[in-house]
Amino acid sequence: MKQTNGEKTFQLFNYVFLFAAAATMLLPLLQLLAVSLSSPVAADSKRVFLLPVEFTTASWTHILGNEGLWTAFGITVYITVAGTLVSMLFSVLTAYPLAHKEFLLRKPVMLGIVITMIFNAPMIPFFLTVRELGMMNSLWSLILPGAIGTFNMIIIRTFFMGLPKELDDSAKIDGCSDFGILFRIYLPLSKPVLATVSLFYAVGYWNTFQRAVLFIRDPEKWPLQTKLRAYLTSPEELAAVNLVLGDYDFNTTTLKAATILFATIPIILVYPYLQKYFVKGSMLGSLKE
Amino acid sequence: MADTLDQLSKGTTPASVRIPKAKENLYLANMRKHWMLYIMILPGIIYYLVFKYVPLAGSAIAFQDFQIMKGMMSSPWVGLDNFKFIFTYQDFYLVLRNTATIALYHLVFGFPAPIILALLFNEVRLMLAKRVVQSLFYLPHFLSWVVVGGIVFELLASEGAFNMIRGWLGMEPILFMQEQRYFRSIVVISAIWKDVGWGTIIYLAAIAGINPNLYEAAVMDGANRWKQTLHITLPTMFPTILVLFLLNIGNFLELGFDQIYNLLTPMTYSVGDIIETYVYRAGVLQGQYSVTTAIGLFQSVIGFALLWIFNRMARKSEQGLW
Repeated sequence: MKQTNGEKTFQLFNYVFLFAAAATMLLPLLQLLAVSLSSPVAADSKRVFLLPVEFTTASWTHILGNEGLWTAFGITVYITVAGTLVSMLFSVLTAYPLAHKEFLLRKPVMLGIVITMIFNAPMIPFFLTVRELGMMNSLWSLILPGAIGTFNMIIIRTFFMGLPKELDDSAKIDGCSDFGILFRIYLPLSKPVLATVSLFYAVGYWNTFQRAVLFIRDPEKWPLQTKLRAYLTSPEELAAVNLVLGDYDFNTTTLKAATILFATIPIILVYPYLQKYFVKGSMLGSLKE
Repeated sequence: MADTLDQLSKGTTPASVRIPKAKENLYLANMRKHWMLYIMILPGIIYYLVFKYVPLAGSAIAFQDFQIMKGMMSSPWVGLDNFKFIFTYQDFYLVLRNTATIALYHLVFGFPAPIILALLFNEVRLMLAKRVVQSLFYLPHFLSWVVVGGIVFELLASEGAFNMIRGWLGMEPILFMQEQRYFRSIVVISAIWKDVGWGTIIYLAAIAGINPNLYEAAVMDGANRWKQTLHITLPTMFPTILVLFLLNIGNFLELGFDQIYNLLTPMTYSVGDIIETYVYRAGVLQGQYSVTTAIGLFQSVIGFALLWIFNRMARKSEQGLW
């Protein structure tokens, strides 16, 4: 295909614009990394852009020695693992009947579920409900109230609906029950979509914030995001030493930068895997009926 | 809505909807034969009832003088008193105005952003470049608002990178996060930064579904890339755009607690305090359950009314959600 001059100019502009905009997605993280590895004096005198100035790892050593941060990290790992398992179990169990015509209540149940996508549960009654269930300050409050992500469940359901009907029929002839079909035939065949949805759930749990703000009052039980937020609003706690009196190679600026990255690194580490799956996965999300 | 979305994804017309005859014995027989399916869906049904429908029904406390000790059953009913109260309440108007203004900005600037970006992605011919750029654009979607809020505060701090660049250009530093006039722009820009890439995925899927013959025919007729975009790509994306627009409108006033909460400081309350952050402070923290539920209910009603109006309009030209 021949390009006109106008098209060539546009192509050039488009590449420049897209690469520049894409760079802004990464640069803020790189800048924080540079700050976290710089001396406090350099960090506070506008000298650190994308490379560390007066390189030091003092901030990182300091926050990695912070017990509170590790406790919160542990809690987040726990709710991410436990939550993803619970969510996946709930989701596949819900998706399977909704993908089968034999389930006569399929349409009304589906409608009831889709309605909740439009009418979100309002905050206060939601809060009171969870509280009535005695989940305040329990880590279950971070898992059960959001156990099924409707969008995720529908992705699984759509995939199940695409599996050939003959699988069910032949398995039933062999005396396999619906539970057997789900766990021994459907799930092994759905590995890619299950991987995608698990990753969606896992990222969601890793980033849990609002529910923790609502339901967890005991700072000892805060997940990482809540802890991070507390440290960002009162960084003196993060320093936990008197920065004025002592001679330290970090200050609140460098510590905050390091802590933000600390909470982000696991996401960056799984991002290549995430990316492999999510584009396909989110295209599967269209409703079928 | 299910039908509409299905058509979008499949490009087919719905099979005529058959309404099963509500014969009781039919259901009973079905239940007996496929009882396992009913057992399976039980956790899911309980989940949706307990965590979605019970809170929806719990909105009734907006019409009560709800007292936590008495519970919903024995708290006195007060009719519309809570609503009368909020409409005479100064803070409510402030919060509503902030919410509506930011929501409007999101709609005007945030909604078209992924559409435009998807069109730009579509013009990239080098596959490797496309992959690299897309990978970078998707990344911020997976960061929490605590992290993004932290990044925004650090970048815009008086000694932060942004003021550093201003310094190179000989400009005075600005305390962006403390100044009211920048707050809403920061909210809108940071939201676009975080989710614009992610938002393109669904549009790219729509573009990928376009029959290449259409473009070939257009080239035969002498249409350039711009004309092709205008007359083929955009019209084919239109149903997707419409559905997403309607879904957006339904949640018009729900801006997202996480974002605002993590960007707000007491200095910017007057421009940035929104319904969700206000309801959290006055409701969850101070225990004004009934009044804040009334505000929440008001928000949902506005959302639904907007959805209903726009859906009607959409049905006249194209197809609505229902």
